[in-house]
Amino acid sequence: MCKRAGLVLLLGAALARPLMSQATDVQRLRALVDSLSREWVRAGAIADLADSLERQRAFSGRDTIAVGALRIVTDPSPLPVRAAAERVWPVLDSLYGDAAALLAQHPYVIRAFDPDTNVPRSIVYVGLTVPWDMSVAALTRLLVANAPMPPPDQTFVSWFGGPLRPPTRAAQDRTDVYLDLVTAPSTPARACYLGGLRDCRVALGLQSGGDLLDLWYPTAAERRALVNRAFADYFNHGANVLPLHACAAGADTACEALLRRLPAGSLPGPLGAQARTTLVRVAMAMGGRDAYRRLVADPRAPMADRIASAANATLDDVMARWRQAILLSRPPSVALPWWAVSLALGWAAAFGVCALRSSRWRLG
Amino acid sequence: MFRVMLYTQWKWSRLIILLGTVAAFALPIISMQGAAHADRNPLEAQDLLRTVQSWGTLYPVLAAALGLFVAMAAWAPDHRGRHVHALTLPLPRWRYMLLRCASGAVLLAIPAAAVLAGALLATATATLPPGLQSYPFALATHFVLATAVAYGVFFAVSAATARTAGIILAAVGALIAVQVVAGVANVDFDIVSPLTMIVLGPAGPFAIFTGRWMLVDV
Repeated sequence: MCKRAGLVLLLGAALARPLMSQATDVQRLRALVDSLSREWVRAGAIADLADSLERQRAFSGRDTIAVGALRIVTDPSPLPVRAAAERVWPVLDSLYGDAAALLAQHPYVIRAFDPDTNVPRSIVYVGLTVPWDMSVAALTRLLVANAPMPPPDQTFVSWFGGPLRPPTRAAQDRTDVYLDLVTAPSTPARACYLGGLRDCRVALGLQSGGDLLDLWYPTAAERRALVNRAFADYFNHGANVLPLHACAAGADTACEALLRRLPAGSLPGPLGAQARTTLVRVAMAMGGRDAYRRLVADPRAPMADRIASAANATLDDVMARWRQAILLSRPPSVALPWWAVSLALGWAAAFGVCALRSSRWRLG
Repeated sequence: MFRVMLYTQWKWSRLIILLGTVAAFALPIISMQGAAHADRNPLEAQDLLRTVQSWGTLYPVLAAALGLFVAMAAWAPDHRGRHVHALTLPLPRWRYMLLRCASGAVLLAIPAAAVLAGALLATATATLPPGLQSYPFALATHFVLATAVAYGVFFAVSAATARTAGIILAAVGALIAVQVVAGVANVDFDIVSPLTMIVLGPAGPFAIFTGRWMLVDV
């Protein structure tokens, strides 16, 4: 009995020391985390203060130009701000509809500088700094690309690839998507091209549930193509080298295992951001002036429902309209136009006439 | 007269024509390599387009080479004989030139037809993924026109005197020399780019050599 009690005491003494030191470690780490949080809050407050001061500096002593709900704060200069604003406002108004009224609370800040001087400019962290000899067209493009709309929710941004901006090359975007649809090494993209609206949904990342890898790249050939084309460099290191070689040699289990090792959210969809952009534009066009507000209204709703809501139609209707628009944007055929044929024949004839008129047999 | 001219020109340039015909027939078939397999993965459309595009760069090269060599072959014996034979013929110069030019053009129709035959054969035996289409006639037309322009240019240069050819070469050389000197002297002067734009631009004489030489496209 005494022996057993002695053994228990001995064990207790032996374990107490590490347990005590473990408790100390936990306390030390907790204190460290607490101090980090305090530093984080302090840094945030300083950044907010700096931001506020910077904004105050950016806004003070400058003119405000208003066109529609658009507000541009700028310093007096020959920069054609008003002319550009008059072009930009209809573009933003047609895209954001009633939501464009929010722009009145989020003005552009433009600082024009003299491009012909070497005098160092003061550094500003708010707004756009542009040379005052910028053309109206270039300034319009700049303003359209940097519309200061409040950013949408994170779900939308991660699906869409950024905030929604007005199109600058809509026709070319649709043509690029056509090429993607025809050439993407993915069964859903190909099936979408052939008319399957459900496959269009999958290819655009609007499916609900299911395993993304199985949905987007259902066959071994697609998975192998994806690894070899998009991730060959990424996996060509350390422990991934052998599976990468096995995948390249045709082992589908290796390809699948590699793709499942990718960080969450980094598996590329069969159709890229351009396709999603064109889809949202179709939905916005279908939905009228209130479409943008409906699109961003419920950040917790699935993207498919949000797009349908923005379009004020069923998702299949939006998909069908989008697919039709993409198919109509097929790039021009490689066949030569009639004028190119005529021109080539004309040049060949012109060179022939030069030969006929050459001076070979003339004397002197 | 034309038959005799055609026959003599055939004798002088038959090797060029035969080699050109073989190349012109083989090029479309090689460019579609793999597409003829029945088990080809329809998802490899991008790879097929890339291969066709890579091989497509050889069509304008072949067209230019054929135009150059056939035009040179048409005039080489005359140059060697100092045009004595041509002067003995009861023909005005313009008619003689026309016969020579037409004979070369007829001979060049053989490789052009070979491109069409090769393209038709290649596309008939290939399994194209949905969304891709073959353009054998467009490709053959492109090739015919490029060959005609190349032949016209080199025929005109070959038919001229050595002095004219020298002037043309000297002008081109002078332009390049001016550009090189401007580059060395760090002078912001670019004459080659605008000239290239004129020559290869949409209305330029060599615009036909640019563009997409695709047997298969979307």
